[in-house]
Amino acid sequence: MAQVESNARGIPKAPFVDKVEEYTTVGEVETTLRKFQEMISKYKYMEIHLLQRKKSLETKIPEIKKTLEMVQFLISNQDSSTPLETHYELNDTLWAKAKINPSKTKTVNLWLGANVMLEYSTAEAKDLLQSKLDSAKTSLEQVDEDLEFLRDQITTMEVNTARVYNFDVKLRRKQKESGAGKE
Amino acid sequence: MKMLNQEEEADAEVTWEDQQNINAFSRLNMKLQNLEEAYEEKKKEKEYLDDLSSELELADEDELIKIQPFQSVFEIDKLTMYASHQFRYRIGDAFVSLPLSTCQERIEEEQSNLSDELGQVSSRIGDITEKMNQLKVILYKKFGNSINLER
Repeated sequence: MAQVESNARGIPKAPFVDKVEEYTTVGEVETTLRKFQEMISKYKYMEIHLLQRKKSLETKIPEIKKTLEMVQFLISNQDSSTPLETHYELNDTLWAKAKINPSKTKTVNLWLGANVMLEYSTAEAKDLLQSKLDSAKTSLEQVDEDLEFLRDQITTMEVNTARVYNFDVKLRRKQKESGAGKE
Repeated sequence: MKMLNQEEEADAEVTWEDQQNINAFSRLNMKLQNLEEAYEEKKKEKEYLDDLSSELELADEDELIKIQPFQSVFEIDKLTMYASHQFRYRIGDAFVSLPLSTCQERIEEEQSNLSDELGQVSSRIGDITEKMNQLKVILYKKFGNSINLER
């Protein structure tokens, strides 16, 4: 079989049926349709997988944004001597008061996941969060691109299916007519 | 769904170009749905912010009234309350006590950011709808009743 074209992330391109009568023959319609169906369900499976990734990125991005906002706020207050009064969430629905001195707050601890928390200077934290935000946005764009590509392939396959099916209907009708003519 | 009569069946062959037009239409339709959702979400957020800023403007007026001298003890109590008036403003996961003016600045900034984003989304929605309409004309012309491009 010839090399199948695929997109940047290796999703294979759906074949386009140029002339139905050349693509399938009388006895093979069912096999062809089954093959198409199989391909559509493969694409749909990939679509589900990508939609999940999209969802997780869509929750990740605002979280990074939130953290970044706080770090930026701390940086912008670095020169003020008045203590900041904050309420932070100690546990669900339980808030505690904390006074922080912005001019003395030079470092923040970032939760990296996997039970690891690291201390960064505010400037480093800002850079790190910014780069994480950018890369999350790029992957979201890529996922969107892939989803669009998948949509194209699914549409192509669906149109293919409809055309092969219609071809079969027409063929049967013709057979029936010629059969009736003989009797 | 309805079955087409035999007469209604258009016998148009689907060419690669047609297929690409159909794909483009389907892709744009998907995009449009996503954008419309995003638009609604942002609009809601904007409304919240608008409510908030008008609420804070009222707070501002309250403060002005209270600063007038020679008021009753009751009013002076309120004055001390308002003089130290700090709002708890949410940044990230914590609330920070901030003076009114800072809150208003932050809200204004967020409002203008959101307005920009809303403008971008709605112009993209406009572009996509226009492209979809162009494709609709082409595809309906070729396939007539054999194709359905409505929601």
